[in-house]
Amino acid sequence: MTERDPRVTATTRPTIRGGSTREVDLPAAVTWRPQEAAPSESPFMQGVRRLRKSATALVGLGIVVLLVVVAIFADVLAPYNPTVNDQTATFLRPTWEHPLGTDQLGRDMLSRIIHGTRISLLVGVSSVLLALFVGVPFGMIAGYYGGRIDRGIMRAMDLILAFPIYLLAIILMVIFTPTAGLIGTMKVTGAIAIVRIPIYARLVRGSVLSIKEKEYVEACRALGVRDPAILFRHVLPNCLAPIIVTTTLGIATSIIVEATLSFLGLGTQPPTPSWGWDLKANVAFIQANAWLSLFPGLAIFVTVLGFNLFGDGLRDALDPRLK
Amino acid sequence: MRVYFLKRLIEIVPTVLMITLVVFVMMRSIPGDPVVALLGDAYTQEDAIKVRQEYGLDKPILWQYFIWLGKLAQGDWGASILTGRPVLQDVLIRLPVTLELIVLSMAVALAIAIPAAIIGAVRRNTWADYTATTVAMVGVSIPEFFIGVLLLLAFSIGMSGLLPSSGWVYLPGTCPSVVCAAGLFGNAQHVLMPAFALGVGRAALLTRLLRASMLEVIRTEYVTTARAKGLAERPIVFKHALKNALIPTVTVMGLQVGFLIGGAIVIETLFAMPGLGTFGIDAIIARDYQQVQGFALITAIAFVVINLVVDLTYTFLDPRIRYTG
Repeated sequence: MTERDPRVTATTRPTIRGGSTREVDLPAAVTWRPQEAAPSESPFMQGVRRLRKSATALVGLGIVVLLVVVAIFADVLAPYNPTVNDQTATFLRPTWEHPLGTDQLGRDMLSRIIHGTRISLLVGVSSVLLALFVGVPFGMIAGYYGGRIDRGIMRAMDLILAFPIYLLAIILMVIFTPTAGLIGTMKVTGAIAIVRIPIYARLVRGSVLSIKEKEYVEACRALGVRDPAILFRHVLPNCLAPIIVTTTLGIATSIIVEATLSFLGLGTQPPTPSWGWDLKANVAFIQANAWLSLFPGLAIFVTVLGFNLFGDGLRDALDPRLK
Repeated sequence: MRVYFLKRLIEIVPTVLMITLVVFVMMRSIPGDPVVALLGDAYTQEDAIKVRQEYGLDKPILWQYFIWLGKLAQGDWGASILTGRPVLQDVLIRLPVTLELIVLSMAVALAIAIPAAIIGAVRRNTWADYTATTVAMVGVSIPEFFIGVLLLLAFSIGMSGLLPSSGWVYLPGTCPSVVCAAGLFGNAQHVLMPAFALGVGRAALLTRLLRASMLEVIRTEYVTTARAKGLAERPIVFKHALKNALIPTVTVMGLQVGFLIGGAIVIETLFAMPGLGTFGIDAIIARDYQQVQGFALITAIAFVVINLVVDLTYTFLDPRIRYTG
């Protein structure tokens, strides 16, 4: 246990500067360490080592990296313009010219899938980051200060959590009125971020509640370190592991929520290519052109699978107790 | 226990009020209102003002909410602005459809997840375990509507249209009018694919959770003790391990209700089912205030009641947990 959990190591070792376990922080006289712990290896490196051993995590990482590359170079990779209609080439079956065929407006399906990667990843990643940047400070403040501040913040969070998340996301999207292009994407991002803020606030609050009772935090206070410094330099780094894991897995969930909103017609609007919307639009033609609705669905599946696999691997590597 | 139960029942009220109030305010903060849609393109300002007065839409929002609450207390859920139909009537017609879908999908989920998780945990690191965990990983990564599309492709488009791709046959006794179709067989045909589409994703999630907590429980000392006593493996797995492993699983199931409601909306849309999900999304998009309120109310009640049921399930699963007022 001592070897596998960075947080336990942090408290069993003599700590000089807060919760840091980095070698440089320890004067030569006190370089005592538990026998089981690998010498001269930081918890971070231990995590990386464990991650590299996990085949599934590497497959996940591979998928994620590939998708990021596709999203960045979509303009170069896509053989056609994804939004230009061609009435003479509708519903073409997959050929060498159009590897995934064309849709009811004659748009190349492969190009739409490639460009759809952008929307999916952009919304998935940025909504989670947005929720993170709002939720984590709220959680830290609530957990660290407690009392009335805690009750106030957590009540607001419970208010959001009291909603079935799709009901809230759908109504938010109706309020924002879905549009096409980057603005439309930002609206979806905002809606998903709002419903996900409480997840991070709760998670961080829980971790902070236990960390703030640790001796090294007490030591900091006794030394007169200011609250923001304690929070960001000593408390936050020690609750990073669950945050990282939840974030990676949260991206997978956000991508599904985005696809679902799109599917309901409340995501980024056409002509901007979005997988959920393409799937829905092509279900109408499923009888004669089954392949059309298959590809956007497969794209969503592979993306979500990638983040899930990577997130699972991260969890095993960073925080064995979360299993 | 009884005191606790009563207390929880009373706590439902403020939560439901809060959800309906927030939805009420949010819906009315969207620019434009249903009156414009109701009157069509050719209308005068006077007409619009008259209709708004008629529906009480000219009053302050909070005041409108209290009027809605007052009517609700008398059992009046209001009437749709666009169609004039009573909201309660529509909700009651559509509720059985969605209930059937959700209950059956949960049954599908449990029927797949419990055996899969037990096999995965008991035969850990065998091919059976790897198969179960891989399938579960794939399952959590597929959105419900894509599973639905795949089922459509397999059983509606393929297999010479074995199962109907859309529409609904009501369960006998729930049919809203004399002309609609009702029958057990037809109903089963229509509900099979939607229930599976919604259930498979939950099954995958459940399998992962249940397997992990089974593995934890199996390592505990009381399981070792049970083995040492010479107890057979079957009662150990089912009575000792499974029951205790179900506790964290049930918690997560409760948290999943929010996703299940979204899933119902999506699946009902895909299979064109006349359930609450399609009712809700249509109402929200058309901004039919009264219908949206009805939908929010029924969803909030369902959400809160299911969470209560989850908490009460704990006492059954673990008698050590007792709630006191």
